[in-house]
Amino acid sequence: MLSSLLAVSLCLLTSFVRAGSDYHERLLLRPLPQNALLASFNFRSNESSSSFERQNFRYFPRSLGQILQHANTKELHLRFSLGRWDAESWGARPWDGAREGGTGVELWAWVDAESEANAFARWLTLTNALSGLFCASLNFIDSTKTIRPVMTFKPEGNHPNMSSPNLHLLHGTLPHEVVCTENLTPFLKLLPCKGKAGISSLLDGHKLFDASWQTMSIDVRPVCNNDGSDCVIEMEQTVDMVLDLDRSKRPRDNPIPRPLPIEDIECDTSKSYNSQDSCFPLVKTSEPSWSLSEIFGRPIKGACPITGEEGENAETVCLNVPAERNVDIKTNGGYTEVPRGEGLLRCYKLPSRDDFDISLPEQTLPTPLLLPQPPLTAARSINGHGQERGSVQAVITNPSDYPVSLIYLESLPWFMKPYLHTLRASIPGAPASTNPIKETYYRPAVDRHRGTHLELLLEIPAHSSLILTYDFEKAILRYTEYPPDANRGFDVAPAVIRLLPSDGNPNAPPVFLRTTSLLLPLPTPDFSMPYNVIILTSTVMALGFGNIFNLLVRRFVAVDEIEGWQPGGLTGALRTRLDKLKARWFGKGEKDE
Amino acid sequence: MRVPRFSRAKESGEADRRNADQRQNHSFLTATRDEWIEGSESMSLLTSLLALRRDARLLKIPPYLSALCILVGIGWLLVLPLQEYSRNTYVSENALLPGQVHTYFTGSEHNIFRAYRHEVAELVHQPLEGRNQRLAEILRSSGLKVATQNYEYSASGRTISGQNVYAILQGPRADATEAIVLIAAWRNMDGEINHSGVALVLTLARYFKRWSLWSKDIIFLIAGDSTAGPQAWVDAYHDSHSPASIEPLSIKSGALQGAVAIDYPAGPWGHRFDKLHIVYDGINGQLPNLDLFNTAVSIASGQMGIGCTLQRMWKHDDSYQERLQTMLRGMISQGLGHASGPHSSFIPYHVDAITLQTVGDGWHDEMSLGRTVESLFRSLNNLLEHLHQSFFFYLLMQANRFVSIGTYLPSAMLIAVNFTITSIALWVQSGRPAKPPSPVSTDTEPSEAPKMTAVEKDDMVALIPEQSLAIIERELFLPLAFVGSAHFLGLLPLYIFNNTSESSLTLAFHITTFLALLLPHLTAFALSLSPHRPSAQETTLIQCLSLLLLGMFLSALATLNFSLAFLVGILATPLTFVRPTSSRPLAGLQTLLLIAVNPLVVTTLATSYWAGGDVSQLKTVLVAAAEGWHVWGLWTQVVVWLVWWPAWFAESVVVAGSLFGEPSEAKSDKA
Repeated sequence: MLSSLLAVSLCLLTSFVRAGSDYHERLLLRPLPQNALLASFNFRSNESSSSFERQNFRYFPRSLGQILQHANTKELHLRFSLGRWDAESWGARPWDGAREGGTGVELWAWVDAESEANAFARWLTLTNALSGLFCASLNFIDSTKTIRPVMTFKPEGNHPNMSSPNLHLLHGTLPHEVVCTENLTPFLKLLPCKGKAGISSLLDGHKLFDASWQTMSIDVRPVCNNDGSDCVIEMEQTVDMVLDLDRSKRPRDNPIPRPLPIEDIECDTSKSYNSQDSCFPLVKTSEPSWSLSEIFGRPIKGACPITGEEGENAETVCLNVPAERNVDIKTNGGYTEVPRGEGLLRCYKLPSRDDFDISLPEQTLPTPLLLPQPPLTAARSINGHGQERGSVQAVITNPSDYPVSLIYLESLPWFMKPYLHTLRASIPGAPASTNPIKETYYRPAVDRHRGTHLELLLEIPAHSSLILTYDFEKAILRYTEYPPDANRGFDVAPAVIRLLPSDGNPNAPPVFLRTTSLLLPLPTPDFSMPYNVIILTSTVMALGFGNIFNLLVRRFVAVDEIEGWQPGGLTGALRTRLDKLKARWFGKGEKDE
Repeated sequence: MRVPRFSRAKESGEADRRNADQRQNHSFLTATRDEWIEGSESMSLLTSLLALRRDARLLKIPPYLSALCILVGIGWLLVLPLQEYSRNTYVSENALLPGQVHTYFTGSEHNIFRAYRHEVAELVHQPLEGRNQRLAEILRSSGLKVATQNYEYSASGRTISGQNVYAILQGPRADATEAIVLIAAWRNMDGEINHSGVALVLTLARYFKRWSLWSKDIIFLIAGDSTAGPQAWVDAYHDSHSPASIEPLSIKSGALQGAVAIDYPAGPWGHRFDKLHIVYDGINGQLPNLDLFNTAVSIASGQMGIGCTLQRMWKHDDSYQERLQTMLRGMISQGLGHASGPHSSFIPYHVDAITLQTVGDGWHDEMSLGRTVESLFRSLNNLLEHLHQSFFFYLLMQANRFVSIGTYLPSAMLIAVNFTITSIALWVQSGRPAKPPSPVSTDTEPSEAPKMTAVEKDDMVALIPEQSLAIIERELFLPLAFVGSAHFLGLLPLYIFNNTSESSLTLAFHITTFLALLLPHLTAFALSLSPHRPSAQETTLIQCLSLLLLGMFLSALATLNFSLAFLVGILATPLTFVRPTSSRPLAGLQTLLLIAVNPLVVTTLATSYWAGGDVSQLKTVLVAAAEGWHVWGLWTQVVVWLVWWPAWFAESVVVAGSLFGEPSEAKSDKA
């Protein structure tokens, strides 16, 4: 059963590597335990390499194509993610983690340029352009957030000049970016059917961003024949989400989860205290009922007309449920159901114009759907407390029966300064002499210019956990370097883990895993204090300066010392007259004497 | 033994400058002294001024100044409860918006709560493992991630062990960077089983899971007990636990932003309560951000109509006396620095935390408490930043009245300053020669006039008795060595009390009390017999240095734990006023006074006062202190044994010295 399931997911994966049609879309629905539902949307469009060069875009979005050409980008991977994948309950990740990113926004691309500086300039062009296109703060990916991974990422496409030094890989993350509706709208606009028909008509911001976990990805890569000819530029967009069925089924106008009336709660009547006022709630073991229109708020608005007419490509909606599960299809148009993967997968060809809805009643299944187990789990946390130091601990567990090799990539902000001599990798239960760290690639941070880049090649024996720890020091930032809400702390990007294929096959599909992001509390000043100090000192300075300046530059002269001094104004004139008069009279008097 | 060069170098700058002036003047002026003596009529003003500066009467002022400082310090504290000197509390962090949301924890949740309360009641007699397994099962059925943690501490020969169960509700849209904690200890501080508190946490866990608005993870912690369990958990959460006895946490979330503990020990049939008692003291007198307290008060009293009390003031009519009493109770609790609830362990990690305790008989039920917690969590969920806006240093005198550090700090500082003033006075005094010998003993040269010397300053000359100008060398070695070793000696009882088994702890205390009371006299006696018996100057310097250290320590401590600094300062005030004396009755009286303020005697008296004369409670205090040392990281004892007791000991030796003969005579003979 398990192997067949693996085959199903593998078949899904391989089917996308090469396909005949120029546009293809598919939705995979898989109920997960604890009332969750995985909805995995995949859209793929091809453009032949020659027409791409000539800017003759058909299915490939012009806006994105021109950006890529302008920035000389050969391969692009962009991820928007939110939430956590619960591997314990939900099993292995969709696409083996290859189509998801860390919390926030993650972007990596192969840029064609003669020099590193040139590549970085083009990278900045790319991030700024994408920032505008996707309404995301991608323009904040500057040199401090950019690294050049060495081992973790391999190009997915076929690059004829792969070995040439002109292809530069750059990688940047924004862990604090909150993915929201404004990122979904431009994402949908890139699709040929633009969310009006086909499976993309289900994508609604309210539902997508209420999901327990969701990730949106865009991958652009050149795909060629084995001999390097007949290249196409392939663009793949995926949206994966895990919906909480209870939450999604709540009507839009009444989203508050009020306590249910007691009549609607199933009580455990075997309890001795069970009575009118005490009710021990029973956990529902049956599969919950759901339908597309309930959980997405609307049914599928017919097939996207440009998808293939025949064969596997036309089957755009697949449901991964056990064969015993009852499924009702509600549509007025004609549709086709094709069973695949030993009855575990039911695929549907959509009606061309009419609404299409899948509805599953509540049902108790004899055997629940077996989920593929994750090949690796990872958890990372910040330990210690205080404003000066801390340590990071990552626990990577290999539950499988064979040892695995993996690459662990950390991209740390410059104000988090790791002490590499404290880097320890230990495997509880293993002999102390074994060092799980096989290779280390480390590029230290430069204050305010670049972050730390740490890549490790690790090996974990079967059924064991690896505990990776290192200490770090927290830098004190300049006053203006603090973001708004500085007391929240700073987000540290998730670590990227790539599982190396056990047989060393370089063409094996990549398996990725990302930890959650971390919150790094830094020493934060009291921001109102400088203003108080500035105001106070300015006042004192002004008073003191004014007086001293007065004393220094003003010459104090007695009135009678000035020749011909005349007070101005009317009184001045009058006084002058009076003085003259006085002088005359008294002068005369003196003379008389 | 003497190091005159050293002691010269150690003299204060003030004295040095003066000495230099005088020596220079003296050598310069001697040749022409006679001429100036004639013409010195007009210089009488300067003479009197200079004479005043060296007047022995000037040295009489500091004791009065010290007394004034103490009186003002105490008076300062007493006016704080007045309307004009305290402030109304207010919520400073705008994001909290306390009580602005409608709460929905009602209806069928009540039925579920009652069922959970029965479940909890059934677990009371079960073994630890089975109990926690069942609790974990209930939490897991609500769709949470559950884990357990074993812990084991040993303090004063007994083992404190238990198991924590905790569950993490992963915020639907959260990214595991922040978390808030809801705690219910299995047993509360009084050892009662927290039936309704645990049941409420289980119900709220199930209820919170349904909401999609959580921006932070919520951790539900059912701690094995009220003090060690939360401590073990929060230590392990920050990975600062000792891995030998405390299990690391298998699942974690992000940085803790706040914690709320529920203490509601009503049994399976419930109990309606009257008020919420909000407990906020942390370990070592650290306090949570006032915003958290204010939010809780504002939600409970404003939104839910539940009255709030604090510091066990069940009846509070907002009079001066009640405010003062609340404040003093708060200060004693803060000064002791002990854990006052499950929340206390969180505060040293900069996680703001409070305990909500139900008290009295009233008409509020568990649902009101649940809604209060719901509203409080909604407020904490709103936070964009760690709580930082409001005060961390405050004294509360009512649920909505407080004084902040700027207002109350001078009080403890003045108490601390009184020691420094006396210390400076004693330093000056130690530099003066002893008083001119009394006529009775110096009848050999009765007719000798005091030698005079002329001093010139600002074209003016003054005649001054040479004696007033004479500077004698300070013999610093013995005082320094004595005060230093007294402080090191404090380590001994600190070690003994933290490492004695529970059964012999009271005995050890009594023996230590006996020894501590006897030790000054033994030391003084031994010193009086020794060849280097301390001179009067050395005795003064001992007192001076020990008071200097006390003043320094207490003023530094006042900024960290105001209450402890204030209480120790008040109890140490007699140390300012005791002096070596030749009168034995006076010395005896001073000794009695010192015995009354001995730290150990004070501990015994305070314990029997609060325990209503029950001296056996002493053991509880000592066990709690040892537990505090080993489990919570309490440093009240460090202050007692390394700050307060050495000062007391030094002063007691000084006083006891006057019971064993006249040290000054022996010294003056030698000189």
